[in-house]
Amino acid sequence: MITVENLQKEYKLVKRDPGLKGAVKSLFHRQYETKKAVKGVDFTIGQGETVGYIGANGAGKSTTIKMLTGILTPSAGKVTVNGLVPYENRQENALSIGAVFGQRTQLFWDIPVRESFNLLKHIYEIPDQEFAETVSMFTEVLNLEPLLGVPVRQLSLGQKMRCELAAAFLHRPKVVYLDEPTIGLDIAVKVRIRKFIKEMNKIWGTTVLLTTHDMQDIEEICDRIIIIDEGRILYDGGLEEIKVQFGQKRVIHFDLPELDSPFILPAPLLGMAEVLPASEGETKVSLSFDHERVKSSFVISEMMNRYDIQDLTIADPKIESIVEELYNRREQGGTYEQVLANS
Amino acid sequence: MNKYWQIAKVRMQEDTAYSAWYWAGTVSSILRLLVIYYFWQAVYSNRSAIQDIDLETMITYIVVAMLLQGFVGGVGQDLAENIKNGNVAIELMRPYDLIYKMFAVDLGSKLMHLIRGTIPMMLVAFFFMDIPFPGSVEAWLLFIISAGLGLWIGTFFDFLVGVLAFWTVNIWGVRVLKESLVTFFSGALIPISLFPDWLRVITEFLPFQAMVYLPVSIYSGMISGTEAYLAVGLQLFWLISFYVLVRVIWAQAVKQITIFGG
Amino acid sequence: MRRYAKLYWEFAKNQMKVMMEYRIDFIIGVLSVMLEQFASIFFIKVVFNHIEQINGWSFYEILFIYGIAATGRSIHHIFFDNLWTLGWQYIRPGQLDRLLIRPINPLFHIVADRLHQDGFGQLIIGLIILGTAIPQLDLAWGAVEIALLVVMIISSGMIFVAVNLFFATFSFWMIDSLPVVWAVFNLSDFARYPLTIYHKGIRTFLTWIIPYGFTAFYPAAYFIDKSGFRELALWTPAVALVCCVIAYSFWNRGLRSFASTGS
Repeated sequence: MITVENLQKEYKLVKRDPGLKGAVKSLFHRQYETKKAVKGVDFTIGQGETVGYIGANGAGKSTTIKMLTGILTPSAGKVTVNGLVPYENRQENALSIGAVFGQRTQLFWDIPVRESFNLLKHIYEIPDQEFAETVSMFTEVLNLEPLLGVPVRQLSLGQKMRCELAAAFLHRPKVVYLDEPTIGLDIAVKVRIRKFIKEMNKIWGTTVLLTTHDMQDIEEICDRIIIIDEGRILYDGGLEEIKVQFGQKRVIHFDLPELDSPFILPAPLLGMAEVLPASEGETKVSLSFDHERVKSSFVISEMMNRYDIQDLTIADPKIESIVEELYNRREQGGTYEQVLANS
Repeated sequence: MNKYWQIAKVRMQEDTAYSAWYWAGTVSSILRLLVIYYFWQAVYSNRSAIQDIDLETMITYIVVAMLLQGFVGGVGQDLAENIKNGNVAIELMRPYDLIYKMFAVDLGSKLMHLIRGTIPMMLVAFFFMDIPFPGSVEAWLLFIISAGLGLWIGTFFDFLVGVLAFWTVNIWGVRVLKESLVTFFSGALIPISLFPDWLRVITEFLPFQAMVYLPVSIYSGMISGTEAYLAVGLQLFWLISFYVLVRVIWAQAVKQITIFGG
Repeated sequence: MRRYAKLYWEFAKNQMKVMMEYRIDFIIGVLSVMLEQFASIFFIKVVFNHIEQINGWSFYEILFIYGIAATGRSIHHIFFDNLWTLGWQYIRPGQLDRLLIRPINPLFHIVADRLHQDGFGQLIIGLIILGTAIPQLDLAWGAVEIALLVVMIISSGMIFVAVNLFFATFSFWMIDSLPVVWAVFNLSDFARYPLTIYHKGIRTFLTWIIPYGFTAFYPAAYFIDKSGFRELALWTPAVALVCCVIAYSFWNRGLRSFASTGS
């Protein structure tokens, strides 16, 4: 389905003086700076898999996806998608893929959504019958009926994203790349969108590659995740597995308005929990601890014994913190294999 | 006052950042000078004067008119875009008079344009095309006053056109429409005295000739003496009328923003 | 080919619907361009009120040159106007990515994305000028001449398109090549008048380097015997073709560079 072997991408950034003069000069004589965005990535994704592709900003996610879609040519390595090399057969490959790129619209700005779909029908040469079926199904699942007659520019972000998603799946592509499909959306829309993606995956066996910073997206949609950091894969495997391995750090924020002396960790928690640097004001204290070793209830009760707590919040394990954790371990442990071995 | 001067200065710095546009503008100006030069050479190839205007005066007129026309525009485009994207409402909350602020911005770009664009072009015209300077100190002074009034009238008019963005979507079309009107009736292409009589009479009642034709005629000596003073008086009349109009229409527009949200 | 024609029609239908939605703007657009052209023509008229000919060319002959330029430009203005926006609307904001993952030619997509209403004003005025000038020219007009005129006008339009495409393509390497495109486009002002009035260097430049001479003067010269350019004029379609091939190859080079740098 999708195979990626030793995929690399280095950008040659042209060092250029500002302005037209610089531009003209750089046409003839160029100085380059190389920046390695992807440094040798391997993975295989089978038909019908749902994969979360995650990493911090600038980790190399978008670059990988651009190479998978054929927008970018790799510097080294091999990619095949449905047996095609995307950057060599870009237009052919495009027929069997769909994509949502964050905030950038797929739709046509000035014309109503219905007409946008209709144009896409012609662009992807979707048969009439199939098109009619797909649109009526999407209209129902995504509740598009009231939006179809509205020009795209008048839609709200959530409405637009629902339409974007429909547009990406309209030609029943074998693979769909979703780059931050839920960014900036409210909960109700997120839920609807996740449900839709899962359903498409179930009905048509669509392979989904999803990048997101929202852990909930990953948990609900993906059965596998690939974590990338600084252009290398840190982790590739099941979602449950990673949570067990890396997601056991919990953080609880306590609000202690009565605190007048410097905060001291209650004795039973010494060596078990760690005080995080205070963020807002001085009355807040955040404790980080290993979920496997200490129960949250134990931490809370010890704190309550010692301090007058006005309020507390338990933070979820964030994908960012897992990535950060992984990253830290790699720094200490050296290679990726060692990281996993040590954990 | 200092506040507005700072705004103008920032704009001058911003303008120097877009050097690609500067070079493109310079190249285009030189090209236009060339077209003008060869076209009029050909027109005059077997005659010495058209309605008492000889070749030298004609080329002087056209070149100065072209350079002056570069100043006739203003903030209309910025204003229209601000209206379209809704920024104007935010601008209104800022602690300055938006009209003065926009004119300060405009002053900044015009000063920059004068220094980087017009003065070098004047020198090119002076050395390579033998364009003379005004004949007397009086003509120089009158020209500078008249040109200042003319471009101010142009700026006000441009502002008025920009405000139209409240009521139309195609601001680019309105712009082209305005440019054509100004180019045509201001005398930027050809001295208005060469127009057919009926059209010349109409043009004399329109404000556009005050933007380019009057100052350039003073420069090239086509208007002098009492006539020149009368011309400056006429410009003053138009300037004041336009200022009143700008204030009235802007007050309406502000009402539109505050009541209907733009 | 047929697929693209059909697709273009689908794109165009939507564009026209949008235009009709904003009727006042459509009219403003058309009128503004018509007035702009009219101003230039009136300028020529005023000049000719005082003289009989420029370098041997009469008013209607100059009008004829002008009419070919205006009509040719209208092809560019109506159908290819989006080339102006390549840098700041497609490459910089990343919109080009979206087109690259579609199963159609990206240049086609960019071009089809916009049908420019204001170009119709240009077309109308161009046809009016031609309609005014031609009867005054004392030429024998048969089917062959008319067909040839149409070919010449289309060639003229394609030269405008090719030159703009060529310079717009620089946006793949520059932040935005719009200033360059604009400056080069302004060169076409030369093409409004007989090239014979200019210095030889300018003439050579506009014939062989940036062939705006073939957008108006040479095609017009074909129909006017005394010009002495009839043979060169016949090359107009070939020049247009060569320009398009060069510009399109350069565009493809830009795309390849885009695929390796991602801008």
